[in-house]
Amino acid sequence: MSINTVEYFIREVIHSLRRNNWMSVASIGTVAVSLFIFGMFLMLVMNMNKMVDAMESQVQIMVYLEDDFSRDDARDLEVDLKKMQGVEKVTFVPKEEAMEKFKERLGDQKTLLDALDETNPLPDSFEVMVLQPEMVKTAAENIEKFEGVNSAKYGQDVMEHLFDITRLIRIFGFALMMVLALATLFIISNTIRLTVFARRKEIAIMKYVGATDWFIRWPFVLEGIVMGFLGSLIASVVLRLTYSGITAKIYDTLAFFPLIPEEPFLNYVTMIVVIGGMIMGAIGSTVSIKRFLKV
Amino acid sequence: MIHMNDVMKVYDNGAIALNHINVDIKKGEFVFLVGPSGAGKSTFIKMLFREVLPSSGILTVNGRDIIHMSNKDVPYLRRSLGVIFQDYRLLPDKTVYENIAFAMQVIEAPRRMMQRNVNNVLDIVGLRDKYKCFPNQLSGGEQQRVAIARAIVNNPAIVIADEPTGNLDPETSWGIMDIFKNINASGTTIVMATHDKTIVDAMQKRVIAIEHGEIVRDEARGGYGYEH
Repeated sequence: MSINTVEYFIREVIHSLRRNNWMSVASIGTVAVSLFIFGMFLMLVMNMNKMVDAMESQVQIMVYLEDDFSRDDARDLEVDLKKMQGVEKVTFVPKEEAMEKFKERLGDQKTLLDALDETNPLPDSFEVMVLQPEMVKTAAENIEKFEGVNSAKYGQDVMEHLFDITRLIRIFGFALMMVLALATLFIISNTIRLTVFARRKEIAIMKYVGATDWFIRWPFVLEGIVMGFLGSLIASVVLRLTYSGITAKIYDTLAFFPLIPEEPFLNYVTMIVVIGGMIMGAIGSTVSIKRFLKV
Repeated sequence: MIHMNDVMKVYDNGAIALNHINVDIKKGEFVFLVGPSGAGKSTFIKMLFREVLPSSGILTVNGRDIIHMSNKDVPYLRRSLGVIFQDYRLLPDKTVYENIAFAMQVIEAPRRMMQRNVNNVLDIVGLRDKYKCFPNQLSGGEQQRVAIARAIVNNPAIVIADEPTGNLDPETSWGIMDIFKNINASGTTIVMATHDKTIVDAMQKRVIAIEHGEIVRDEARGGYGYEH
């Protein structure tokens, strides 16, 4: 492709964007909104994944004992637990201590416990740390077989819920993204169709004098790509600001919440959004010009 | 240059536009295509630059097999042809110069060639001093001359004209025919569909008459042969 031709293409694109300025602005806006929503879902799903990972990497097992299990027996059990393969640390938590912790967690609402009349329904328990996250499941299953052990929990319930939620968000997000992508394609292809229609005579003449289809197509495809690019830039900027805002808010209240740090995460998201926008622009314009090339 | 052997064209609705056409047009010939409206002249013309595809037979233009050529070769066929229409088909927002240069631009001709060729064809059609004008500032005859300049700027082997004088008064038409004569004299083959009896009778060139999709007359030095 000669410099002369590239120059011609660029002139055509600028000319055309100017000629349909309102439609162009509308298309760019639609692309921006769609890609913003797409980006939000992307970031949400990725953060959920990260949270699941964080849960999965936990090495703690809570071992709750039977009510009638004596403290002496518990001490023996502690020795047995410490002997288990892969166990790093075992801490005994007497029921009194568990109650104190529970009260702390309730804070202002600890008066609720008055109804218990000083009885303590909480069991004695052990906090067992294993060496590697993969060992948690087997270790918990083995611990449950010990006498006096009521149950051994390792956050599996929480994790299963998280899986459910992420799956829902993924499905819903995917469906929404498809709808938005189609809407964006439709808007872009309509804008380009207007341009193409306004220039159908020019296209016919180009065909008569022997321009190749690709030569005719390129300016329109470029126009679509430029619109997609501009829309995705706007979406990226807003996404970055939104994510920074949200992470700052969350860190204020929940300092240890496992969010993905802004850098380089936001760069990846921006890249995906920009490339996505350009691809949508290219497809949208290619679809709409096809019909007009038949001369 | 142009070879048709038993060419048929049947449109989708079953109408037979051309029926068993056999024609040979040699390099440098000047051929008039005459006949009543709807006889098949337009179909004949459009097949030459493959806007219409023949239904059967053999058709070669400038050595290219029109029927079996792939779509992506069509642009290259058209670069060897210059096409002129009754309604000029100029781009209103481009100047005379730009309209002509456009034909070179879109086939990616080198820029240094562009200026030389455009000036050259502007001289041939006698519009050198109007190169900055827009089409709406020109008369019909001048607009058609721009269209001719655009058709020949890429040095085509064949010029195909569909009723080029159809919208012009007799005097202007003669100016256009003079240009065609000059182009033909330089060795370019010309195929021109027309209703202009005076021109055909006066030029004494080869005349092919088509009626009801069939060639009814093919004379080396003929007249129009119809009354208006």
